[in-house]
Amino acid sequence: MREKETTLYLGPQHPGITGNMMVKLKVAGDTIVKAETHVGYLHRAFEKLMENRTWTQCFPIVCRICVPEPDPNEENLARAIEEIEGREVPERAKYIRVMVLELARLASYQLWMGGQSGSMGLYTMPQWTVGDRDYILDLFEELTGGRIYHMYIWAGGVRRDLPDGLKGRVLNVLKYLENRLPDYDKLMFQNAMFRKRAEGVGIIPKEKAIEWGVVGSPLRGCGIKHDVRIDEPYEVYDKLEFEVPTHEGNDIWSRAMVRRQEIEQSISIIRQVLDKMPEGEYYNKIPNPLNWTIPAGDAFVKTESVRGEFGYYVVSDGSDKPRRVHVRGPAYVHGVTVLEEILKGANISDVSFIMNSLGTCPPEIER
Amino acid sequence: MLDKDCNENKCAEQIKKTFQTAEVEVKREKRVTVQLRSDLIPPFLSFAKEFMEFKHLSHMSCVDWVEDNELELVFILWNYEQQVQIIAKTRIERVNAQFVSVKKFWNQAETYEREFHEMYGVNFVGNDRLGEFILEDWEGVPPMLRDFDSIKYSKETFYQRPGREDAQNVRATIAKHSGEEVPGFAKDYTIRNIED
Amino acid sequence: MAFDLKGILTPFAALSQGTKPPHTVKYPAEQKETAHRYRGMHHNDLEECIGCGTCSTICQNGAIDMIHIDGYETNNGDSGLRPRVDNGRCCWCALCVDVCPTGSLNLTSDYIYVTEDPDSFLWTPGVDNAKDGKEKLSWQSSEGKRLLDYERVPMKELEGTERVKSFAEVVLGYTEDEARKEADRCIACGICTDICPVHMHIPEYINAIARGEDDDAVRIIYDNNPLGEMCGKVCTRRCETTCAINHKGDPVAIRWLKEYVTARVKNADVIKEILNPDIAEPNGHSVGIIGAGPSGLTAAYYLALKGFDVTIYESKAHAGGMIMYGIPKYRLPLDSIDKQVDYMLSIGVKIKYNTKVGTDITFNELKEKHEAIMIGIGFEVPYPIGLTGEDAKGSIQAVNFLYNINSGINVDIGDKVAVIGGGNVAIDAARVSKRMGAEVTILYRRRVEDMPADWEEIEGAEHENVIIHPQAIPLEVISDENGKVTGVKYANAEMIADDKGGRPRPKIIEGDEHILPLTTLIGAIGQEADYSFIPDDIKEQIEISRGRIVVDENQATALPWLFATGDIANRQADAISAIADGYRAVKSIEKLLLKK
Repeated sequence: MREKETTLYLGPQHPGITGNMMVKLKVAGDTIVKAETHVGYLHRAFEKLMENRTWTQCFPIVCRICVPEPDPNEENLARAIEEIEGREVPERAKYIRVMVLELARLASYQLWMGGQSGSMGLYTMPQWTVGDRDYILDLFEELTGGRIYHMYIWAGGVRRDLPDGLKGRVLNVLKYLENRLPDYDKLMFQNAMFRKRAEGVGIIPKEKAIEWGVVGSPLRGCGIKHDVRIDEPYEVYDKLEFEVPTHEGNDIWSRAMVRRQEIEQSISIIRQVLDKMPEGEYYNKIPNPLNWTIPAGDAFVKTESVRGEFGYYVVSDGSDKPRRVHVRGPAYVHGVTVLEEILKGANISDVSFIMNSLGTCPPEIER
Repeated sequence: MLDKDCNENKCAEQIKKTFQTAEVEVKREKRVTVQLRSDLIPPFLSFAKEFMEFKHLSHMSCVDWVEDNELELVFILWNYEQQVQIIAKTRIERVNAQFVSVKKFWNQAETYEREFHEMYGVNFVGNDRLGEFILEDWEGVPPMLRDFDSIKYSKETFYQRPGREDAQNVRATIAKHSGEEVPGFAKDYTIRNIED
Repeated sequence: MAFDLKGILTPFAALSQGTKPPHTVKYPAEQKETAHRYRGMHHNDLEECIGCGTCSTICQNGAIDMIHIDGYETNNGDSGLRPRVDNGRCCWCALCVDVCPTGSLNLTSDYIYVTEDPDSFLWTPGVDNAKDGKEKLSWQSSEGKRLLDYERVPMKELEGTERVKSFAEVVLGYTEDEARKEADRCIACGICTDICPVHMHIPEYINAIARGEDDDAVRIIYDNNPLGEMCGKVCTRRCETTCAINHKGDPVAIRWLKEYVTARVKNADVIKEILNPDIAEPNGHSVGIIGAGPSGLTAAYYLALKGFDVTIYESKAHAGGMIMYGIPKYRLPLDSIDKQVDYMLSIGVKIKYNTKVGTDITFNELKEKHEAIMIGIGFEVPYPIGLTGEDAKGSIQAVNFLYNINSGINVDIGDKVAVIGGGNVAIDAARVSKRMGAEVTILYRRRVEDMPADWEEIEGAEHENVIIHPQAIPLEVISDENGKVTGVKYANAEMIADDKGGRPRPKIIEGDEHILPLTTLIGAIGQEADYSFIPDDIKEQIEISRGRIVVDENQATALPWLFATGDIANRQADAISAIADGYRAVKSIEKLLLKK
C-alpha cells in the first residue's frame, strides 16, 4: 500500500546548516518524494548595492556573502578588477593572498566538520572545531584586524603587510591543528556511526556530476579530479605542490574523505607559502579611490573554495562604479537543483546531513 | 602571445566555422568571448556542450544595458579537458524581455532563469518554475533593472531613524563661509554633492 | 557493511580530552586582548582633523556625518566640521581610516558598546571617547599604504645652468598625461577654496581636468578669474598650503594644473570660442578704471560682460601692471599676457595706453566722463634703502630695473651685483641679473626661512647659483671718486629671540664687518603708491592710512562712486588678492549703478 504523502517544512531557521533557508519536503512515511528549495531569508541585494557604490566601496561588502569563508569573495572581486584593468599584483601580495585563502579554507573545514557531525547528532565535534577554528581567527585578527570579515584583499594586493613574527605563529597554529587531526579521526572519521550514516547516502551519479554543475569536494567525491587551483591556477598556485585528493563512492562518506585529506593539503600549502614568500611590496596602489574608474570590459574569475568553484562575473562600463557584479557560489547549484534531485528517495533524518555534505550555503543562492 | 594551434584558437576557429555570424575573440590564455545573435544561443550551447566538450556551465548572468534598451544574457562555459572558458553573450530586447529556456541542456540553468525572471523580468519560455523565488510579494519593477532606484525605495519603505538631520556638506559649508558661488555648470564636476 | 568494533570504540578516545585544560577563556570572563591592528571603534584627533569629510565620502554604509561641534569653526584650512559615526551602520572596514589625509581618524581596540538606547549609536569619535581613545589606537593609517596619492607629479624645468643663458620660461608645464595624473590626486574637499582670495572653484576645475574635460575646466576658471593663465604661472597659491593632502604629502599642484589647462589654449580667439561668453546689451553706464593691473583688468572684464562701458587708463605702453613689468619673462612670458588681454579687448574692454592720470588727463576729467571710478594703480615707487651713499651711480632700484628689462631697455649692471631684500622682487632682480651674466649675491637681514619670497623662487635662485647671504645687514654704499658704486659694507648678524614672542630679530655682531665689491647695487625692500594725481579735495574726503586707501569689504571708499583695489587697498600684495578686489568691486559697482 502506498503511504499517504504529507508536506514537511525544514527550516527556515538554520535547518542544520549555516544560514537560513527552507526545504519544502513531500514525504511518504519518512522517505522524501519531492524536495523544493526555498530561499529569500537572507537576500541583502549585495549585487544591487554594489552598482551604487564605487569600486573601492565594494570591497567591504563582498565578504558578507559568506561567513564561513569570506576571503574567496574578496579575492575574486580583486582579481576580476585586476583582470579588466590589467593591474599587476606584487608577488608578495599573491603569496599573502594564498595564505589567507588557505587559512580561510582551514577555518571553513573546521566549521564543516562541526556541521557535518552536528547534523548527525555528534555534538562534541562542533565544540572542538569551533574552538580550534578560533586559533585561526586569532591569526586573521592579527593580520587583517578582523576575525570573521577580513576586508583585507583588495585590488592591487593586500591592505597590510604581515606583522612581525606572524609566520612563526601561523606555523604554531598549523602544528596544533595537525596534532588535532588524530583526535578528529577518532571521534568523527573513524566513527562507525558516521560511516554508517554517510556511506551510500546522498549519492550524486558520477556520470551526471559535471553536467549537473557539481564542483569542489562533491565532484572529487565522485572520483573526478578537478580543482580550480590546478585547472586554472590563480595567484601562485602554479608554484606550489599539492595533491588533489579524490575518492570513489559518490556519497557523503567519499566527500568527507576528500575533505579530510584536503585539510592536510591546505596545511602543506600554507607551509610552502611561508617558505617561499618573497620580500617586497604587498600593494600596487590604485589611483585616488574617489575617482577610480575601470576601463569597460568584463571578466569571470573563480577560486576553489571549500565548497567548490566560486566565481565572480564583473562587468565595467568604464565608470567609477561596477555595471554588474554577479556572484556564483557553489551552493547556487548544489543547494537548489542538485539538492532537490538527490533528496528524492532520501530519509528525512538525512536531509541536513546531505545539505552539509554539499556545502549548502543559502547566502550564496540569494546574496 | 598564444600559440597558433593552442586550444583557445582551435575553439575560436571551430565556433567561427559553425556560426558564421558569431564575433569570436580570444581575449587571453584560456579565455574566448563569443557574441551571438539571440536565436543562435540554443544551437550554440548545444554545439559547445555536445561537440566541443564544454560540459560545465560555470555561470549564467544578465546585465542591464538600459541606455541601449537591451539586456545582455551571458553564458559562461568551461571545458575541463582543454581548460578553456567561453563567455557567450547575446543581447535581447529589454521591454517584455523573452528568451528560450536552456534548462534542457543544463538543469541548473533553471535556477538562473528563475532569478533573471524575478530580478530582470525576463520570461524564459519552457521554464515552468518561473515565479516567486528570492523575493516575497514583490510587485514593483524587477529590482535588478537599472531604473529601479534602490535608495529611493529604501527611503520610502523603511523608517529613517531621526537624529542625523544636522549633517552638513563639507563643500557647501566652506562655500557658504567664503561666499563662493559655484555656478551650475561647474557643479557637474563636484564629486561630492554640494546641495545635499 | 561488516560490524565495525574499532569504529565503535575509537570515538571514546574523546574522553581523554576531559583531563586536558580547557581552551576557552577563563571564568569569570576576562576581556580578550585584541591584536595590535584590531578594527574597533573610531577615534578622531579633533585638533589634527581638518574636517575634509573624505571619511564620510568613502563610507560605503553612509555611516559618517560631518557635523558642527562646539569649539571648531570654519576657517582657512579647516571646514570646522567633524565626523560622527552611526555605529548602527558602521562595518569597521576602516576605509575611512586608510583614506584620511591627515591621519587624525583611526580605529581603537574598543569593541564592546552596549546600550538600550538606539539613538546613542550616533557617536562622535574624539568627543565620546575623548578620555582614553587616543591611548587605545589600534588600526592606524600610519601603518599601511594610504589610499591617497601623496606624491606630486614632478614638474619638469630647465636645468639651472641652461636657464641663466636666456629668458626662456623655466617651468616646462605638465603634459596631458601628467596633468590628468596630478589632477586625479584631488579629493575634492574644497578646503582650499576658502583661503583663495577669489574663492576659485578649485575642486571642480581640477576634477574637470582629471576627467579630460579641459574646456570645461577653462570655463570654470573664467567664472571668477579672467587671469587664470597668469595665476597658473605666478600665483602665490595659498590654496596649496591648505590642501588636505599637504598634511602628509605633497599638496595637489593646483597652480600647475591651472597653468596646464589655460596655457594650452592657443590664442584669444580660441579662448572666446571655448567660453562663448554671454555679453549683455550695453546698459548705458560708464566706468573708468585707473591702472591695467590684475585688479583693473578683472573688474573691466566682468563689467564689460555685464554691459558696462569700461575704459582703463594705463600710464605704460602695455597692460598688466606689476605682472607685466615686475615679473621677469622667464616666469611669465609676454605672449601669455597679450593673449589674456587680447581676449578682454575682444569682448569690449577699452584700454587707453600711455595715458597717465594727472598728466595726460586729469582726475576731474575722468570724474566727468564716468559714473564710477576704480583705482588700481599698485605700488610702483620703491622705498630707498636708507644707506649713506645710496645715490651713487650703479645703485638702482629693483622695480625700475625690472621695468626697464621687461620694456626691452638695456641696463648695464657689470659683473658683480648685490641685491638687498628677501621678497619675490629681490629674487626676481637677482635671477634677472644672473641671466645678464653677473655674479649675484642677495643680502638679507634674517634667516633664509624668514624670507618672504616663495620657496620655489628661492630654490630656483639657488639652482642658478645665486649666492644667498642671510643675516647680513648692509651698512654703507661705497663708491669711487666718480660717484660710481664699488661695493657695499655689511655686517653679519646673529638672531636674537624676541622677548615679546615675535620672530627672532637680527643683531649685528660687533666688528664682523665686510665689504662686498660690486658693479651694481639693487635695492628691493619694498614699494609704495604715488597718489599725487588725486586732487586734494577728494583726498580729504577719503582716508589714506599707512600708504593705503581705506576701503570697506566691497572695495568702496568714503565716496560712493570711488573704489580702490589691489596693492593700494589690501595688505596681501599679490596678484590673486588684486583679482579678488577687482571681482568684488564689480559687484559693488553693479549695485551702485544698476541699483541692484
